[in-house]
Amino acid sequence: MLRQPLCRALALSSPARAVPLASRSYSNPVPAEPEKVEVFINDKPVYVAPGTTVLQAAAQVGVEIPRFCYHERLAVAGNCRMCLVEVERSPKPVAACAMPVMKGMRVKTDSDLTRKAREGVMEFLLVNHPLDCPICDQGGECDLQDQSMAFGSDRSRFTDVHFSGKRAVEDKDIGPLIKTIMTRCIHCTRCIRFASEVAGVDDFGTTGRGTDMQVGTYVEKMLLSELSGNVIDLCPVGALTSKPYSFAARPWETRRIDSVDVLDPLGSNIVVTTRTNEVLRILPRTNEEINEEWLSDKSRFACDGLKRQRLVTPMMTDSRGNLMPVDWEDAIVAAARALRDCPPNKLLAVAGDMADAESLVALKDLVNRLGSENTCTEQYFPLDGAGIDLRSSYLCNTKIANVEDADFVLLIGTNVRFEAPLLNARIRKAYVHKDTDVALIGPKVDLTYDYMHVGDSASVVKISPRGPEGSALLAYTQELACKLQDKLQDKEWKVLNVLQRTASQVAALDLGYQPGVGKALQDGPKVVYLLGADSGVVSRDQLPKDAFVIYQGHHGDAGAAMADVVLPGAAYTEKRATFVNAEGRAQQTLVAVAPPGMAREDWKIIRALSEVIGERLPYDNLDEVRDRLSEISPALVAYGDVQENNYFAQARALAQSLQKPVSGKLDVQLKHLEDFFMTDTISRASPTMAKCIQAVLKQKDSPY
Amino acid sequence: MSSRSVRPMMSSDLCEARRRALGLYRAIYRYIPYVIKYYDIPKNIDQCRWMLRSYFYKHAYITDVRVIDMLIIKGYIELKELTHQWQSKHHVIRHWNPSIEPKCTSFIAKFIEGN
Amino acid sequence: MLSSLRTGIKGLWRVPARSLQTSSVLQHDSLFVHRDTPEDNVNTPFEFSEANKKRIDALLAIYPEGHKRGAMIPILDLAQRQNGGWLPLSAMHKVAEILNLPRMRVYEVATFYTMFIRRPVGKYHLQVCTTTPCWLRGSDAILKAIVEDTKCEVGGNSPCGKFSVSEVECLGACVNAPMLQVNDDYYEDLTVEDTKEIIAKFKKDEKPVPGPRSGRYASEPLGGLTSLTEPPTGPGFGVQDCFKA
Repeated sequence: MLRQPLCRALALSSPARAVPLASRSYSNPVPAEPEKVEVFINDKPVYVAPGTTVLQAAAQVGVEIPRFCYHERLAVAGNCRMCLVEVERSPKPVAACAMPVMKGMRVKTDSDLTRKAREGVMEFLLVNHPLDCPICDQGGECDLQDQSMAFGSDRSRFTDVHFSGKRAVEDKDIGPLIKTIMTRCIHCTRCIRFASEVAGVDDFGTTGRGTDMQVGTYVEKMLLSELSGNVIDLCPVGALTSKPYSFAARPWETRRIDSVDVLDPLGSNIVVTTRTNEVLRILPRTNEEINEEWLSDKSRFACDGLKRQRLVTPMMTDSRGNLMPVDWEDAIVAAARALRDCPPNKLLAVAGDMADAESLVALKDLVNRLGSENTCTEQYFPLDGAGIDLRSSYLCNTKIANVEDADFVLLIGTNVRFEAPLLNARIRKAYVHKDTDVALIGPKVDLTYDYMHVGDSASVVKISPRGPEGSALLAYTQELACKLQDKLQDKEWKVLNVLQRTASQVAALDLGYQPGVGKALQDGPKVVYLLGADSGVVSRDQLPKDAFVIYQGHHGDAGAAMADVVLPGAAYTEKRATFVNAEGRAQQTLVAVAPPGMAREDWKIIRALSEVIGERLPYDNLDEVRDRLSEISPALVAYGDVQENNYFAQARALAQSLQKPVSGKLDVQLKHLEDFFMTDTISRASPTMAKCIQAVLKQKDSPY
Repeated sequence: MSSRSVRPMMSSDLCEARRRALGLYRAIYRYIPYVIKYYDIPKNIDQCRWMLRSYFYKHAYITDVRVIDMLIIKGYIELKELTHQWQSKHHVIRHWNPSIEPKCTSFIAKFIEGN
Repeated sequence: MLSSLRTGIKGLWRVPARSLQTSSVLQHDSLFVHRDTPEDNVNTPFEFSEANKKRIDALLAIYPEGHKRGAMIPILDLAQRQNGGWLPLSAMHKVAEILNLPRMRVYEVATFYTMFIRRPVGKYHLQVCTTTPCWLRGSDAILKAIVEDTKCEVGGNSPCGKFSVSEVECLGACVNAPMLQVNDDYYEDLTVEDTKEIIAKFKKDEKPVPGPRSGRYASEPLGGLTSLTEPPTGPGFGVQDCFKA
């Protein structure tokens, strides 16, 4: 792969927190569609593009060829030989995953030769594979098990007459997330290819050869990646399994509930695996628009945080200032009294990282009914100029999947790798496969690919020296994006992308929350309602001495610690709730387990509170809350869809009036891998995440 | 639509069915004081009569003679079980569903309950 | 008594019901993971000499931009030669640094090829071929003689630190079997006496003459030529008359 220095990108430089800018090529000639070739799969004709492999052609007519090493999203390796098929007039069976189709090729996927080849390959694989399925965590979801049942022989010639034992390989220690039992490895090299292609961490490889070949890291080294958990899903056998989930459950005794992740702003689709009202593990669910089939380690492994540090009962401070468990009636009455007696301008509601749209709308409606407009989110976003009036100025407008098509990506003040790992995986994909150039303004961080570092000074964002001196960073970015847009041939392509950092922010901004608490705090609020606000933006020292703090949320963290009344809510696996991801796509989580103890769904708490206050909110069930959501914005309930937003020119016009100097250094919070693991209440409560941080720090001390 | 003529169970027309229904009503109505006495249920005569009425009103809309007949037969079976003391006290009191608590209807009550 | 005897005899004479033929599990004598040792760890000092640096530049110049990793094997070989016949971890790291590759890619290559030796070896690395042709010609005796003379185990180093002995697969000198490779030189057509003499010379740090010990020049027949004995015929030999000019 030849990569030129990114000199030409030097002319472009630009601003706001977290702004990946993606632009499409300046001229995009559509290549002529090549003529399709006809091939026959089991005598069924199929027309495919030249260059398609036999395996893909077979998939088009619904014939699935067994495979171990082949994976759609990874390079073709062709080393497991499981996909051998007979091709007419070919002396030997050919590996379907690596064989491009040729005109008039006749493939037989179910002939005697094919079946014999598969049986042979399977026998060889099983000779070197331990018979430990009963104690293997992959049991029940193991490709080797399934395929040996389907394609293997019913007997084996392997007999251990000398009792010398089967092949045995020593296990590797690659961190607290992945358990390795390398004896089970069948050398498909999927993990190696994933680590080097997708994760961008070239630490895996094969050492030795022949019988001695083994997959590993050669030196003792942890797999330092935020996407490492995906190798567990990729591994077709039980060689790489999940350490936190080890020996926990079998796949057939669990329930799987489709849901949405809220630990990063992308809203990756997940499957929550539960048993006996307990979340056992979280797996990714394929969604080509968002996460493909990957999942970041935090989203996958922080689920054990859902069982710890939970608020299970309402609490109130007693005379000595300690939080004591009370009944719902008492807690609600106390909270209601405080809210009712508070002067409207002294009331402040703050929404945290993982608040769902339903509770956000309920809280805002309640606060508005009490006569206050002080609803804020913890995360800051500039309000000047167009601010949050236009949806396009706070969303990832290009959409996550389209980042792959970008020719140039400019990241401003963000570390995408840790703020949105799967978006970074997309950028890396574009970098690897499309030679996309990437530039970064902000602190120098490791993004797993080469990029041009344009400095960390915010003033770099000004594009032309003649531009108006001074105006906010966002305004400059909007300006830059519009100028780039003018140069593009594809006028549909959206240049400006804003990456929010939390799962709740987009929904909150859609609903009219004010980003950032700065101004509201200065007014000295008497009553503060924290809706899962735990990031420490609001603390006791900033509030007046007699301020009354109501905390509603699911984890005992910074917010609950400073509260006078604690109302236990439900975490994202415990409620059916709407979340809007960074690109403005509304998705809903489903109830996987019941909320623990006396915890209740969040919007219901606010609804009950409103009735006690005497300002009854006009919705009694979820459908009615969602009707209210769609009144505010239909996009909030259009599940799975993204609305096109295209008000860049207007936003730019509004920003023209701003005359603020752009100065100072851009900084990001998550600089290193150890910062990534604990960013919210759930991951802070997770022992696995704590182990990850320790392991990463230990690895940093190691000489390898 | 063609109507299918079916063999009557007991009554040949609605008039006759009505007569039988009134007969059943009277029979049970007259036996109510004895039910209270023999079964020692904590209900007075009015309450029992009200319950009886409610059962008849529950089926007031039925116009199919055969269904009415079937219900009348079931009613007589019930009465016979009462008169012969084949039922015991809890069978009788069950007509009032004393063990089922009324469902909360208000949002806040449901919330406190945990739904 | 009798019955037990019979079973014993039967056991002795029992023909295996399943005629199984297996070969023993073959495993390489070296490890394919790295273990830190005092001699070989990440801090082992390694730096290419000036002469080798020039050679590396020349090697890298052969390969086009973007394919510099093709120079990995020659550079690893340089490193091994410079370091006295073995490749420490730090040398692999150095090569990765020169080629701008992840270290793992270098480990993969260095472990794949058996000519890269990843443990400290003596000044003279004796590699005895024990593949079938050499074995038929008595390589077992040669190996035994070497082990006795140098006092080192197969796959180990001698107590004096001068010798290392390895058993290797075919080195491509089957016509001159049995044979022994010492560093870069082949000693062929060996007898036990020859072997002892060679080792004795190495012990005195003298270099025996490499090549066949049987008096042959190369791989010609030992007792003189059995064919092609007459002078070569000229052009046109054996051609039909009609084709002759």
